[in-house]
Amino acid sequence: MALLEVEGLVKHFVAQRSLFGRPLAHVKAVDGVSFSLEAGKTLALVGESGCGKSTVSRLVLRLIEPDAGTVRFDGRDLLSLDASALRAFRREAQIIFQDPYASLNPRMTVGQILTEPLALHNLVPPARRRERVAEILRLVGLEPRLARRYPHEFSGGQRQRIAIARALAVEPKLIICDEPVSALDVSIRSQILNLLRELQDRLGLAYIFVSHDLAVVKHIADRVAVMNLGGIVEQADADELFADPRHPYSRALLSAIPLPQPHAKRAKVVLQGDIPSALNPPAGCRFHTRCPFVIDRCRTEAPALVADEAGHATACHRVGELPPADAILPVAAGFTPELAKLVAAFSRKTEGAPPTGVGIQSARPTTT
Amino acid sequence: MSASPLIEIRDLRIRFHGDDGRVTHAVDSVDLSIANGATLGLVGESGCGKSVTSLAIMGLLPKQTTEISGAIRFDGFDLLKTPDQTLRDLRGNRLAMIFQEPMTSLNPSFTIGDQIIETILRHRGGSRRSARDRATELLRRVHIPSPERRIDEYPHKLSGGMRQRVMIAMALACDPQLLIADEPTTALDVTLQAQILELMRELKAASGAAIILITHDLGVVAEVCDEVAVMYAGEIVERAPVDELFSAPQHPYTVGLLGSIPRLDHRAEQLATIEGMVPNMAQPPAGCRFAARCPFVLDACTRAPPPLVEVSPGHLSRCIRAPLERLVS
Repeated sequence: MALLEVEGLVKHFVAQRSLFGRPLAHVKAVDGVSFSLEAGKTLALVGESGCGKSTVSRLVLRLIEPDAGTVRFDGRDLLSLDASALRAFRREAQIIFQDPYASLNPRMTVGQILTEPLALHNLVPPARRRERVAEILRLVGLEPRLARRYPHEFSGGQRQRIAIARALAVEPKLIICDEPVSALDVSIRSQILNLLRELQDRLGLAYIFVSHDLAVVKHIADRVAVMNLGGIVEQADADELFADPRHPYSRALLSAIPLPQPHAKRAKVVLQGDIPSALNPPAGCRFHTRCPFVIDRCRTEAPALVADEAGHATACHRVGELPPADAILPVAAGFTPELAKLVAAFSRKTEGAPPTGVGIQSARPTTT
Repeated sequence: MSASPLIEIRDLRIRFHGDDGRVTHAVDSVDLSIANGATLGLVGESGCGKSVTSLAIMGLLPKQTTEISGAIRFDGFDLLKTPDQTLRDLRGNRLAMIFQEPMTSLNPSFTIGDQIIETILRHRGGSRRSARDRATELLRRVHIPSPERRIDEYPHKLSGGMRQRVMIAMALACDPQLLIADEPTTALDVTLQAQILELMRELKAASGAAIILITHDLGVVAEVCDEVAVMYAGEIVERAPVDELFSAPQHPYTVGLLGSIPRLDHRAEQLATIEGMVPNMAQPPAGCRFAARCPFVLDACTRAPPPLVEVSPGHLSRCIRAPLERLVS
């Protein structure tokens, strides 16, 4: 059985009200989203600004209430939980945000930040809490002595480690990662991505990974759902999606990513025009205003998300007739042999290196 | 490099004096030259000095707290010694800049047309009517749909991608010889980024202006630039033609950067990481600034600052262990 099952999730926000409070306009932030997630796996929600990916992640935690649909976590219907049952559920599902500075209280020390969830859920007797905080800090590659410091004393990457540590404190089964590396520099980004993967292997965590960056998603996800204007347009296993993207929007997203490969040979799908407003989404298929393959049917009739036998689902009327995606896929080029050796030597050496700077330990856990 | 570069930076050093008397070394001994029509990528992580370098070119650093030495030669001027009046004539005219966040660079209380026309009238003069025609033409050049109508709109009515197009139109208003683009696509979604990059390539081919593109995204560099300078802790650590930088990097920091990006074109089980932190620039280390984080470090690295030397023709590295191929063969 899946850890998380989401069925027909809908959330409309009121964008404008009349003088008497009657809603005049709605933003259809999430409009019929369904997916499921196995324990220990990673589902990525991908899409551009305003596609509803962050709203979905908040609905799953019931941080906001959905208008329709069901969310089942470990067999329980989340939407029927009362306040105390909901609090118990929050122990099992946590969230980390994009901006680690905004999500840590600047007036609390790291120790206090990590003790709070332990006390709130009464997980560890008060006498043992300090020890547990030290353990959690070590788990995310920080030194236990840093528990006395305040968030402003840390760099962005270290703050994100603290946010991850806080999420781990309650020993959750699911962590929602909402653009966890978007605000970080590339070298720090890879540390956090490696850490997330190692923690998953070690603790059997499931992730919902919300991101706009397909290269990061390819690195971390087992399954990918591509969202556009409140709906999922394509859903498949990650390997399958990156080898054979079927929806024109997924293809456009893939081809828009600049490759760190000068003179890369691939065709580009540059979408014309802007992302339509979610306040006033186009009728029919919501991608039709930007789709290079649009036909009349797309303008009137919204396509359903239909899966094939392998579980690769696409919401497009023309999915069978589209040209193959080969031309837009990046050629598997990779590094030259010398460079590959050099990068390997670089990583090998830094892994064993003693801690430098303000007490980052090697991010590699001691047991694997 | 052609015989006479368009802009030549010699031994640029920039120090900031803080309120508490602390001196931060933001940029140190930077040498750069850019030929007409070339596109140079300036790459590095937050705080490496890439934006400060570009602000120094534009003369936009605060005078009271900044100490600048060296020379920036542009078309017979030394920009560091040019009086403000002359600089104002150059900026927006022959030197132009695009910033990351178009909303904060546009004035919300004037229409986009007014703001472009102001630039044209300031530098080119002429009638308001002809300036307006030129502004419409510029908006068309950056592919803004129905420019005759859009020209009278206020910035808040435009989407992020459109605003960045307006910024580019404004920068191009007087056909600049040098265009500095500071993270021009970082705030945009990928599909819009692809449009803007396409536009930049198109304009580069059409105008022949030299471009300095500042970015942290190596993918963007690979797509647009001819040449790349990698900055770390205020210094240029490597400079190379774009193909060479990606196929045979000669500084360990560049190797680490290339290894740490997740890629679409091949999958790595484990990404490379650069352990440790950027040095405190109030007291930069005596030797190589990357030494503390470098897996290939030797004793000699920490003793004296390594010079930027040519490893192969046109390829410079600030690493005494270059060529790095020797380390793995």
